[in-house]
Amino acid sequence: MEMSGDMPPELLENNAEHAYFMKQALMMGEKALATGETPVGCVLVYDNKIVGFGMNDTNKSMNGTRHAEFIAIGEMLRTYPRSALRSTDLYVTVEPCVMCASALRQYQIRKVYFGCGNDRFGGTGSILSLHADRSIDPPYPVQGGLFHKEAIMLLRRFYIQENEKAPKPRPKKHRELKTDFDQEVLIASPTP
Amino acid sequence: MDVEELLRGIKPLEGQVTAIRTVQETRPREDYADAYVAEVNVKCASKVIKVLDSRFPRDSSQPLSHLRRFAKHNQIPEHLRPLLLREGSSPAQTIFVLISPPLPDIESLQDALSPFAPPNPTEGENSSPLTFHTIRIPLQPPLTPVQADAWSKSMWPVVYNPAAPRAMIAPPPHILARARDSIQPKAGRYLALAQRVADEAERSGLGRRVGAVVVDPDLEAEAATDNNNDNDDGIHWSDAVVAVAGDGRYSRAATDTEPPHPPNQIATTYSPDHEGGPELHALMRAVDLIASKRREDRPGSSATNRPCLTDMERYFLSKSDVDTTAAASTQPTEPEREFDSKESTPIPPPEKYQKTTETSAQPIHTHTEIQASTLTSTSRIRPRSQGGYLCTDLDVYLTHEPCICCSMGLLLSRFRAVVFPRSGRMVSGGLASEPVVGAVPVEEGQGEDEDKNEDVAERKGEDGDGSVEREYYGLHWRKELNWRALGFEFVEEQGSAEGGNAELGVAFHA
Repeated sequence: MEMSGDMPPELLENNAEHAYFMKQALMMGEKALATGETPVGCVLVYDNKIVGFGMNDTNKSMNGTRHAEFIAIGEMLRTYPRSALRSTDLYVTVEPCVMCASALRQYQIRKVYFGCGNDRFGGTGSILSLHADRSIDPPYPVQGGLFHKEAIMLLRRFYIQENEKAPKPRPKKHRELKTDFDQEVLIASPTP
Repeated sequence: MDVEELLRGIKPLEGQVTAIRTVQETRPREDYADAYVAEVNVKCASKVIKVLDSRFPRDSSQPLSHLRRFAKHNQIPEHLRPLLLREGSSPAQTIFVLISPPLPDIESLQDALSPFAPPNPTEGENSSPLTFHTIRIPLQPPLTPVQADAWSKSMWPVVYNPAAPRAMIAPPPHILARARDSIQPKAGRYLALAQRVADEAERSGLGRRVGAVVVDPDLEAEAATDNNNDNDDGIHWSDAVVAVAGDGRYSRAATDTEPPHPPNQIATTYSPDHEGGPELHALMRAVDLIASKRREDRPGSSATNRPCLTDMERYFLSKSDVDTTAAASTQPTEPEREFDSKESTPIPPPEKYQKTTETSAQPIHTHTEIQASTLTSTSRIRPRSQGGYLCTDLDVYLTHEPCICCSMGLLLSRFRAVVFPRSGRMVSGGLASEPVVGAVPVEEGQGEDEDKNEDVAERKGEDGDGSVEREYYGLHWRKELNWRALGFEFVEEQGSAEGGNAELGVAFHA
């Protein structure tokens, strides 16, 4: 995938590091797309190392709650104690949904970096602000907009596919993959 | 078997099922914003709309379709008349257009609308520039005809749509009533069972005293017709239970590198490092037990990777173990599939579930009856091949109000309904939008963790008596989330609720 190196100015200092981890998350999203899952990918970074990879797994697992974040946390906790999450950052291609945003807070994640927003179910700013609201767990900071075009393109490539298993498959032959970012793009839900 | 003994001994809770009030009901929002009004040539009305819509895109999350886009002279609210109705303008020539938020800047509006300025009688051909007056408009649609009328008189003409606002505020009454009628008769039993499941979770040391029971209403309907015989052995009431799960938040600690803590001690406080994660909460475990059962049906899968289960969880899951020899005689053996594709090719949802509708329950019911009569042994958890998909059309009974994470998990799993006792409402819960007991007292001795009381600062300035008003999220039927799971509370008869109110106990995520 071609990277435009599109980073919010606040992150320019550690640009290379953030870019590396976000690209790994995008690669997980690519993997999800290739296996017919909604293309959302993420990595967990602890002590500058990736300690958990995740991609959406709701179709294969037949469980609608198996979002990328849970898969990555599950992988990490096979090796690390839960308390390590307090020193762990998440890089995820799409803003965490309400479910994942709450889970990340319960796990006391240190910081969340995401690509594009989630206008339907976003839990860290779009619909609810579970990272910052009052709760019995400490809040966490979020930073959106890392490679957000790439994250949106992943979703667009997923939603342009025809679903031949649908009751009335909608022909999408005439649909063109949009590549413009002139207007704020409507982001489809990262759920099945 | 012990579990059957336990099922026979279950005493139903006594009480009434009632819908959870939604956040739109408990915190009705009356949001207002500025808008512009301009007088334009009445003959150009449709062109004006076209130009406005093409030049200034509207915010799809704020449709504002309740606001009339035009007002005739006689529709202008009283207090705006001196401002808007100028001398010499006539209803035959002009009409007033509303420009609602997001508001464009005046220059581009002037530029867009100047061709449609009202004809100016005094200056002949040349029409003067448009004037944009600022007024206040209501952002939410009116909830009653009375409100619509009041706003039309005091702000700007609005349209009352009886159907639209209701569904945005709360579940449609007929859907709610139908679900409540089907839930009420057995809710007390299922909730009593959920408590026993919770007891087992606590006793085992695997989790907190929280339990979940998942019921298939279609199986209930079948049982009602099938089991009218007298040889009821006292457990038929549980025939529609497809899965139970207890909380398992301490189950991971055992395999951790950290030394194990005695669960009964840590359960008396909230200590996040020992809580496991929400995927080990009762609701999430129930969802995964159902999914894991369906995964077993896949070629090449086996029951060996089932998670660690308690007796009751195993008992109900075994009710979905189809006797393969019996099934084989009635079902053609499935041809061997290519194994390399099994992991990578997700099975798409069955057709009818790709789009869920209010009426989807009907065809499914008849569907399963046919299947059930042809199989000698059937799975309670409807397999994928018979249309089983996620937790669509299932009901879940919980001992406590689920946390925000689990609340959203139940929406994503597409449950039909969720039921928990009102005494199990949690300060950390995701569904209710208001506390039962009003302001919750600040708990003493909860602040040993330095982060824990980071909200102390926010507590200052609250009620002087040290009580605090907490945020109740009220995800139930939140319109932004397109919520579809019906939320109910079980209100126990007075004095019968054991263990008091969970809101006053340790604050944790259930």
